[in-house]
Amino acid sequence: MKFSIFAISVFTTFFALSQKSENLIPRAATSVFSINNVSLLQKISLDDLVQYEFMEEVQAELFDGSTTGKTLKDSGIDFNQKLNVFYGITENYEVAGLTFGVVNKDNLFDVFDDFSSAYSDYDNVEFYESYFSRIAIEENSGVLFRVTPNNSAVDQITDSIWYARGNDYPWYIETYEEVYEIKDPDLIEEGVEEIEFFDEMETIENTSTPSETEILPVAEEDLNVKTYYELRDSVETALSVQYLSMVCDEIFIDGYNLVNSSPEFAEQLTHTSEGTFFMDNSKGLKNNRDFTFLQTIYPTLYTNIEKLYTGNVLLGDLVINDNSVEMQLNAKYGEELGSIYEKLGDAKFDKNVLKYIHKDNSAYFTYRVNLREAYEQAYDVIVPLLSEEENPGISAQLLFIELMDEFVNKDAVFDTYKGSMFGTFNGIQKVKTKKIIYDYDEETFEYIELEEESEEDMPIFTVGFSTDRSDIPNRILQRVSRLTEECHNDGDYWVIDRGVLNSAPLYILMKNDLFILTNDENLVKNHAEGYGTNALAKKDAKAAKKSGIIYGYADLGLAIESLPRELFSDSENEMIDVVRGKSGKVALTSTNTSDSSTSFNLTYDFDAQGDSDKYILDLINSMYVISK
Amino acid sequence: MKVVVSFFAFFLLFGLSSCIEIIDDLSFNEDGSGTFKYNINLSSSKVKINSILALDSLDGKKIPSIEEISNKIEQVVESFKTKQGISNASIESNFNDFIFKIQCDFTSLEDLQNAIRSIVREESENRFIPELEHNWLSYSELKFVRSVPIITTKKLSEIKSEDRELLKQGTYTSITRFFAPIDTFSNSNGNLSKSLKAIMIRSDLHALIQDPNLLDNSINLVNSN
Repeated sequence: MKFSIFAISVFTTFFALSQKSENLIPRAATSVFSINNVSLLQKISLDDLVQYEFMEEVQAELFDGSTTGKTLKDSGIDFNQKLNVFYGITENYEVAGLTFGVVNKDNLFDVFDDFSSAYSDYDNVEFYESYFSRIAIEENSGVLFRVTPNNSAVDQITDSIWYARGNDYPWYIETYEEVYEIKDPDLIEEGVEEIEFFDEMETIENTSTPSETEILPVAEEDLNVKTYYELRDSVETALSVQYLSMVCDEIFIDGYNLVNSSPEFAEQLTHTSEGTFFMDNSKGLKNNRDFTFLQTIYPTLYTNIEKLYTGNVLLGDLVINDNSVEMQLNAKYGEELGSIYEKLGDAKFDKNVLKYIHKDNSAYFTYRVNLREAYEQAYDVIVPLLSEEENPGISAQLLFIELMDEFVNKDAVFDTYKGSMFGTFNGIQKVKTKKIIYDYDEETFEYIELEEESEEDMPIFTVGFSTDRSDIPNRILQRVSRLTEECHNDGDYWVIDRGVLNSAPLYILMKNDLFILTNDENLVKNHAEGYGTNALAKKDAKAAKKSGIIYGYADLGLAIESLPRELFSDSENEMIDVVRGKSGKVALTSTNTSDSSTSFNLTYDFDAQGDSDKYILDLINSMYVISK
Repeated sequence: MKVVVSFFAFFLLFGLSSCIEIIDDLSFNEDGSGTFKYNINLSSSKVKINSILALDSLDGKKIPSIEEISNKIEQVVESFKTKQGISNASIESNFNDFIFKIQCDFTSLEDLQNAIRSIVREESENRFIPELEHNWLSYSELKFVRSVPIITTKKLSEIKSEDRELLKQGTYTSITRFFAPIDTFSNSNGNLSKSLKAIMIRSDLHALIQDPNLLDNSINLVNSN
């Protein structure tokens, strides 16, 4: 999936809206990235592109080292058609690949030089195959794809055949017994060379260069009899051919594809943004193997959950401007699920949180939800679904839920934790810790341990929750303080001495109907009522209030600058260094949540003087490196 | 919860300084036996250590849990107890302040060095480590010669150059106690105790990497006969 995301992001700047490469996307696809404009990548040589770490994987996957001195322009790809990267999963197989326009087949196969022409069962469709993948070309569009049977299905069929042939349990490991026997001290004494168990394990060393002691799988003496693994390979190959035919028949004979089977996807393709994104969560859920279990054990519940998730689709647009990148996401859902989300989003913005966000905070978010309303709605929607299931286990759980709903004081629960919250990052500050030092006796140099105050640098965070019942957490803390000296009240606030990673104090402040957790000593001691005139600027506060369930802001330049080098290898740090020192700001907003959809907008404004195209690639690469 | 802690820990790694204090403490008796203590004090870096422990991996390597570290330490001590000439081996682990104290009695310097060599080899899966062939302790005719084991300085020198700066805040203290007063010693950085029976040399770890012989010392004891 990650490969797909970055492949898209890279190619996003390349392709212009056109005809029909999208008609080759299988209808089993659950997620698709479509790229409408690839002009940026056309300008950069493939040699330069593959310098990017994310591109090395794309390079290995697509171009296989045959790119010297070429750009994507030379690859035979038609930039007037969209490039669509897709992934799909069904109960039986996974299908992944990309579709593209073809303008020059000779050039294309100079790049895809591992592919050779193959027999085609379909009129006007040419097939090419490599060891792993296939390319099908119909008229001026092509699809590079791979169909992989689900492992569980392959295992099941293989086991079935294996046992039917009268074989024993297949997971017998000859080498294990050898190792076990050789460990026998008598054998060691007789001079048998000891085999380290580690030699049998797959490591970087012995995978690429098998050690002399490594025992490799042995073929059966009768070459006509397959070992378990050979049989499994055969089953996998047979299923691959079968499912490949199914996928191709649907596209090239029946004419079914994602465009004509998903109106949402078809509509998304009409957008003129640089890239579009489609993810069908309902289909993904249905084909998730965990839900296959649910289907078997709780069939009625499965059917009801499937209905609940019907229409759950995530649609997105990627817009690239001169000095900004914008991601517009629209989460769509069905009526019943939508009714829960709508209630969840039906919350008033708590203005008190704005007092505790300092105007200089490099990152913060506000989140407003109405948990009480959402709970009541979820109860009304989900309890009937569970009631229809006859399984005794589900009935017992349902009874528990219903009794809790009756007996628990919901007013107290939801007045204490209303759901709305905020969080800030207040930069790096010195915090007080304690360290152990040694005091030496000058007579003998014997030493004793002494505890001493110390200071360490620490990132300062604040997280606050809206509450109408601060008396409840107060009561809890009063009781806890009797149990441990680590928890104590210091007047206006509570302190848990080593509450932050067992090292530094965690402060708990309950003011202005907020329950605030922070390691910022300055906030609790000097700004317990808020930052006053140093609080968030009016313009930013207005943006937060205006947003839907979530608003987020981060100065990415500062954040990347602060990323600890220790977390990355030397080579990864080299890549991240490319974007260090550049400034950029990220803002996340959402619309009001309706019963059918919620929209999110993520904007990244950056200041890249000079080559902004290259900066976008640098940024993509950094994100890839960080997410690895 | 693990995700939240990891997220927090991730940011806690910002610009945190690393500081380690090592005390290498040897008491030597007239019959060649003695007591060896090795203390590692990481208490002034506990924010950093706690934040690292909260992560699953760092620089591509898995971070062990406190339980795994504790089990490993116990395993090494148990192995140490079985070595020839070693007795009363123990370890005190303080995971609140990250202080670890290893202690054992030995019957001879040779036994102590062989036991340490054996443990290092076991932990290195019996690979040949040439640095272990070196003797870092010897005693003959009232002359005691000690240095820091080469394997220690070699491991320290493998630390990345950017982290080495942080080692300037770390210290290595070598203390040697004797049954008789000290007559002369070769290392000009040595401090003699008032009883004249103990000598201490301190260095920052960075300087020790630059000059592994910094703590070397030849100590002559007073002949009381």
